[in-house]
Formats: sequence, structure tokens, C-alpha cells
Amino acid sequence: MMDSGFDRRDFLKVMGWGGAAAALSGCGNTSIENGKETVVSYVEAADYVIPGIGVYYNSTCAQCDAGCSINGRVREGRVLKLEGNPASAINRGRMCGLGQAGVQHHYNPDRLREPLLRNGDKGEIITWEKAYALIAEKLKGVSGEEIAFLSGGVSGHLKVLLGNYLASLGCKNHFVYEALAPGVVRAANKKAYGVEMPRYNISKAKVVLSFGADFLGAWVSPVHFSQQYAQFRRSVDGQRGVLIQVEPKMTLTGANADRWVPIRPGTEGVLALGIINALGTSTGEIAAAVKGYDRARVSKETGVPPGQIDKIAAILKLRSPSLVLAGGAAEGYAHGSQNAAAINLLNHVLGNIGKTVEATAAVPFPQMAPAKGNTAALKSLNDGLAAGKYKVLFNYAANPVFTAPGALKFKDNLAKVGFKVAFAHYLDETALHADLVLPLDSALEDWGTLVPEYMAEGAQINIQQPLMENLHPNTRGIGDILLALLKQRRPEEYKNYEDYYAYLRTALVQNKTAFGGHAVDDETFWNETLTKGIVKLPGTTAALSGRAGVAGLKLPAPVENDEQYPLQFIPSVNISLRDGRNSNQPWLQESPDPLTTIVWDSWMEIHPKKAAELGIVEGDIVEVTSRVGSIKTQAYLFPGIHPDAISIPIGQGHEAMGRYAKGYGVNPFQIMDAVFDRETGELAMHETRVRVSKTGQRVIIVKDESAAGAKQIREKIAARVSTDNVDLSKEV
Amino acid sequence: MHRFLRISVLLTGLIAALSISAAESPQATPMTEDSLGPLVEQPIEFPHDRHAGDADKGGMQINCMYCHTYARRSAVAGIPPLQKCIGCHQSIESVREAPRIKKLFEYWEAKKAVPWKKVHDLPDFVRFNHERHIKRFIEQQNRPFQEACGYCHGNVKEMTVARRSKALSMGWCASCHQKDHLVTAEGGTPVGGQAYWYTFYKPDTAVGSAEGLKAKGPNDCWQCHK
Repeated sequence: MMDSGFDRRDFLKVMGWGGAAAALSGCGNTSIENGKETVVSYVEAADYVIPGIGVYYNSTCAQCDAGCSINGRVREGRVLKLEGNPASAINRGRMCGLGQAGVQHHYNPDRLREPLLRNGDKGEIITWEKAYALIAEKLKGVSGEEIAFLSGGVSGHLKVLLGNYLASLGCKNHFVYEALAPGVVRAANKKAYGVEMPRYNISKAKVVLSFGADFLGAWVSPVHFSQQYAQFRRSVDGQRGVLIQVEPKMTLTGANADRWVPIRPGTEGVLALGIINALGTSTGEIAAAVKGYDRARVSKETGVPPGQIDKIAAILKLRSPSLVLAGGAAEGYAHGSQNAAAINLLNHVLGNIGKTVEATAAVPFPQMAPAKGNTAALKSLNDGLAAGKYKVLFNYAANPVFTAPGALKFKDNLAKVGFKVAFAHYLDETALHADLVLPLDSALEDWGTLVPEYMAEGAQINIQQPLMENLHPNTRGIGDILLALLKQRRPEEYKNYEDYYAYLRTALVQNKTAFGGHAVDDETFWNETLTKGIVKLPGTTAALSGRAGVAGLKLPAPVENDEQYPLQFIPSVNISLRDGRNSNQPWLQESPDPLTTIVWDSWMEIHPKKAAELGIVEGDIVEVTSRVGSIKTQAYLFPGIHPDAISIPIGQGHEAMGRYAKGYGVNPFQIMDAVFDRETGELAMHETRVRVSKTGQRVIIVKDESAAGAKQIREKIAARVSTDNVDLSKEV
Repeated sequence: MHRFLRISVLLTGLIAALSISAAESPQATPMTEDSLGPLVEQPIEFPHDRHAGDADKGGMQINCMYCHTYARRSAVAGIPPLQKCIGCHQSIESVREAPRIKKLFEYWEAKKAVPWKKVHDLPDFVRFNHERHIKRFIEQQNRPFQEACGYCHGNVKEMTVARRSKALSMGWCASCHQKDHLVTAEGGTPVGGQAYWYTFYKPDTAVGSAEGLKAKGPNDCWQCHK
């Protein structure tokens, strides 16, 4: 806001005239420069290198864990643009905005360029030799028990190398941590279907009932699901698929749904059992278990009108097969496992198993299968840190100082470790607390193999290869670093591998028969593999073995009204910022949130009714207080949220990580309670309760939508119909 | 009243800023079609006349595109890789000890690129496509390559180090693109209904008329300003 005496309009007028005058005076032929720029030619050029013409390489996207295959355009040795690789069954040539921004990870001006050793508050540049020697020195006399390795999800040959390194140290403390992993759903799926991630056939379903699974936005494999969704909407046999989304805060998927059902946070499981009851098709123990969940009770507990429950049951009965999904919003509670189990039970009752919930293929090399990240690992690491168990901590691809709930006091516990090594791309919050920071190659410079968790079709191994030479000469690939560290421990075993590339090549070529390369020589096989960027495997299919069971299914009564903290806090997942690891990519910061159109900042979503009650208007700076702490951000009135909940997107509020991340917005993890799912020990992200108070300040929210535009849309395009007056069966 | 004062303050500041910038950057004299660009000093004084010049003047008559090989395949003509220079010069013993060639081999042995200075540099918002001009004038119309390249680059075969000899301004480009050119069937030029394939404007003369069909070169904004 401008507080000076100058009127904005006057200011713009004068600047306009100024611009015109400057343009006039600048006219002439002065824009052609001669002999100023250097034009550097190649010393030796390969035949296929033509300046101005792109060359394309296949690799794998590393922006999230979905494992989409990418195809990068490289011109004059620089990667310019990424697109999807059509040969991959996961993304079939498509790509999301998050993936597109991968070049900004690579060219990020805040990337680490040299190994840094802590010297007081400063990082001192050291050589790699010194860094490796230092690690060897610090590991001397330290038992395996006293070493911990924290990483994000790892798979492929990197996982094998990492496992070997830890074995060489005698260390069994490998913590695989992902802040936003569907850990509870995996466990519930394992019970209900026999596999952690079955293949969800959205395209074959005639109704999709999703309990908070934002599969079009940020859930598991969104690019793949979006394509499935497109087919689902086009329909195979003339019936356009119907999507019903049940969640307390509207996600992108919720915004696309035919019916969006706001539900009281945490009661998703109750609604699922209520629907089973309303279907009335189950018998035996299931019927007995859902007997108590009649319309009146379910409606009272969930806040979903009885008519809605009937409509959902009616359409599920009418159309088969359907598909029921349990997602992030349903699992984030202390009874998250119960919620997920109740929702999965619905798939059994509806007979969807084997039709839309299918067996999945696994890579026949179990040692390469992904080590899936979860949040239970964070808790056990944190407990160990608090007890002072570890003398040396390695950290790769995880930023727990940023993503651990404030109640865990992770930062303080981290300080108890004697020597902390971080392998990092940026000086993020966790790397900032490390004693030794080793700079990594970007995902577009590194070698690797990746096995995606969600297999779209048959099993596949994705190849990651450099799209260009190292931008900064002193960064190293994580594989190369692990190999160098392994050579310290087991020099005999690894002396034949000059670098990680040699290791990968040997590993793949040795097994070429298994990878479908039996008919060709090594060189051809290797080149073909790199050209395709994917190794497709016959794969072993894990049959679905779980059965419908209600044993142990027990849903708690909804929370009583809490006087002190009356609102449920929903940390929402933005489709591009996710857990905050990509927040330093300005394309993602400036792409508006799909539902609120807000950019470069955090906001608190609150229902207009609740806001009126509290006297909050859009732009009010509010203080959101939980038992753990408080944060201040701008309020945004949003009808797509349950009145008893508020929501703040995660991913913002960095205190480090460079110019595009630091200082924008607030970090909702800071006020998160440390409540864990009772069965799996996963962090219950939605269990924090808060109160909201005004601070008296007000700002203009920076967003793309305008008040005038929204009004026009309401008046001219869409007729407003109250949700309850819509007859769902007629719409179908 | 206050408002008036504020505007005057802003305007005064603006005029002051403009006059300062005007004083600091004296206006270049407007270029004519054939005004020469400045002499550019290059790391090696490359003799274009010796390589491309006519035989009677001691030249080798090498095709421009032997070295600037990317011109027919890409938007940019490219500077030849050092490898190309060495490819010939390693077997030309007679000039091996000449200072320029010695310097060339120094770069080669150090595997370092020669830091040539750009002589024909267009602003970044202009996309000139070499390939398309070569396709049109050399491959379709069979014009001599030195004539075709010379439309923009001047008579390079008589230069040592290249020097800009055409204005390369927008008006200069458009002076050619706006002209009505005779469209003939020779040289594979599209005729008939395809004649104005090159432009959005219909040709002035009808197909089959006595004067022949005339059409403009492509002169839509987006041809250069993508």
C-alpha cells in the first residue's frame, strides 16, 4: 500500500508520459550491437549437434515421487524445456506444472556449489577430499547403533548402494521420511487388499466416491490419475462417470466433482459405514457392524444431510463398478486407520475388488523396490535424537526441521547429534543446522534408476540421466558420493567402479536378460535403455488377497466442542508446493492456487459464516493459535470449507532455502500437534485444534481473481442452487 | 492544489532524468542502407578474402556453407567448430608457421574455443532464420550462394575480418519483404493458389496475367517477432 501523498492515478499518468518520452528519445538504429557479445563455437562438435536445433533426452522427473518420465529439450548444451515421455505408462507424454518447473530446480541461483564445513555460524568452503576424510574420521570408533541415516523415499540402485553403505557401517537406523506420504492408507490397503498400493482403475469406474483423495491435484500419481479421470468422464459405454468428493476442505478434485460433500473433519469413516448401512446389501458380520449407523446418527455425527446419504447410496447401487478412495483428509486422525479401513470396506461391499481395485505389478528385484517414506519414521528418529542416541546423522532429501510438527521440537533434538552431514541441493532449514553440507547434482545432471511406488501398468524401472553437463563444477551426484564413501569401507568390493555411472551401467548390463535385452550386445542394450529412458519388465503381479473384515473396526464419537480451541486445523496440500521442497521455484510460487488464486503467500481459509461470526473479513491478518504455538497470516473467506475448520496450505514459511522461498508466508507445521495414528504410528496431520483471533491489521490479498469477476460469474453464468435442492439422480 | 503541485514535482523529476540520460548518450547518426558497422577486433584476424575470395584475387572460392555449415539446417548460421579449421590446416604445411595459424593451433592444443566477437547481432526480440532464406534463394531459386548470403552480409569475400555492411534494421529488412517479387515456376517456387502462401496478403496481380504473378515476401509481424 502506498501511504505517501501521491495519488496512484497521478503517479501512473506521469509514468506513462515518461515511458512514452523515453521510448521516443530512444528511437533510431541503436539496438543493433556490433562486436560486443562473444559467440563461442564448439571446439569439437558431434554430428548431431546443430546450434539452434534441440536434441532430446529421456529421463525421469524428480519433482515428486510419482515417477513420471520426462523428455528434455537440450540446445547448445543447455536444457531448456521438459515434456512428458509418451512411452511411460504413468504419464503417457503428459506432465504437470510442478514437473515443468524442474528446470528452475536445476538453474536455481541458490543452489549449493561447494562443500561447506561449519565454522561457528559460517560455512567454510572445503574440498571433497577433505570432506570425505572428515566423514571417515568422524565415523572412527562410532558403532553402527550411534549412526542414523535420514532420507526421503529412495528406490532403485541408489537404495541398493545406500543399503550396502549402511551395512558396511553396521548401521540399521535408516529412517525413510516423507512429510506427505499416504502411510495410513498404505497400511489399510495392505489389510484390505493385500497390497499397499493397488491399481485404482478410475477409467473403468462409473462412480468414484473419494474421501479426501485429491487425485487430480497432489495425491500419489496425479498426472496418471488425471488421464484416467478424463477417460472416466468421457465414459466407455455411454455413461459419463460421476465423481463424488467427501472432504472438509475443497481440493482441486473436490472442485471438479459433481457433488462435493463437506463433512465434519474426522468423521469420514462414520459416513462410509452409514453408506454401507444405507445400501443394505451386506450380510453377516458386516451388516452387524454397520447396524448402528442409521441415517439419523450418521447425519448427526458427520453433518451430511440424510438426503445426501440416500442419494450417494442410490447412485452407488445404480451403477457398478464404482471406486471408493481413501485419501489424505480421511487418514490424518488418531483413528485414521479406522477411517481408511471403513472406506476400504465399502469397496468390498460394492464388489469393486478385481474390477476397479486391481492387482499391481512389482519389480522382480525386491532390493530395488522403493523404500517408502512415512511419518512414523520421523517420530522414531526424533525419539532417538531426544535420547541422545546418535553421534553421526546423515540427511538426504528430507527437510524435517521444516516439516516436523512444532510439538516434536525436532530442531532442539537435532542439536544433540555430534556430527551432522547433509547431502543437499540448497541450504534448506535442515542443511542449515548441519556440520558438513555436501552439494548435490540437480536431478537434471545426475544418474539414477527409480522405481515408482504407483505402477500404472506392468512393472517399470525409470532411468534418470543427465540432460546436460554439470552447471557447477563442484557438485556431485548422491550415487557418486555414496560410492566414494563405500570405497572407504569396502575398497576391494567397489574398486572396479570408477563412478556411479560405471556402477549403474554394470548393474544393468549384467542383468540385461532380465531387462529384456537378451538378443542384443551390451553396448546396444545400454544405448537403447538410455534412449528409451524406461526399462519395462514382465514384473510379478501380487494378487489381491485381503478380505472384507470388520474385526477391530471401531470409530470414535466425534470430538466434543472444545471451548478453548474451537476449530479443527486442516493443513492443506497445494498442488505445486506440496511439502515445501519446491517452494524456491518461482514458477510455482507465481502460479495461483487453483481454488483461491492466491500467489506468493500463505492464507487461512475460513467459511464466510464462521468469519461473520468472528467478525473477520478478507485480508484481515489473523492469529491462529494451537496448543503448540501460533502463526499469523491473511484470512481468505472460502465457502469450500467446513464451518468448523480452517485451513492453511503447507509449503510456505521457509526460513532458509534461498531468495524465492525464504520469508514468504507462514509454516503451518510449526503449530501442529504431535498426535499419531493409533495403529500405524503415522503423524495425524489433521488432529490439531486451533482458535483464531484478529490482530487488527488488514492487507489486500494478492490474487488473480477479482471481486467484480466473481460477481459476474455468479450472476451471469451459473444459476445458484442450494446443494440440498439438487436431485443427484436427475443430474446423472 | 496539492495535487497540481505533486504532479509538477513528478514531472520535473522526470524531465531532469530524461535530460541527464540524453546528455550521457549522444544520438548515433542514423544509418543508411549501406552504412558500415564498426571495425570489430577479433582474437584471430580471419581472412575471409583468402578463403572465399575469387581465384584471380588469390582466393580459394570456398562455399560459405562449407564452414558456416549450420546455416542451411538451423535458424543460426553458427561459427564453425575449431575442429573444422584444424581439419584442413593440419595438412597445409605452407602456412603452418604463420602467426595466425600458430595462434589457432594454440587454441586447439588447449582445447579451448576461440572467443569470436559477434559481428551481426540482432536484438533478442528478432528471430532471423538462416535456413529459410537459404532454402528460398539457394535451393529453390538457384542463386549463387555468395549473392544470397551477401544480401545481408555484404561482400564478405573481399573482407578479412567480417564487418557489418548492411543496416539490419527493421526498415531495411522490410524494404525487401514488402516489395512485390515476381513469382515464377522456376526453382520450385510455389505458384497459383499457393503463391501467397508466403504471406497473408493476396498477390496484386491475378494468376496467369501478362506481367506474371507478383507476391510479397512474408511480412507479418510474427515472422520475426515470435
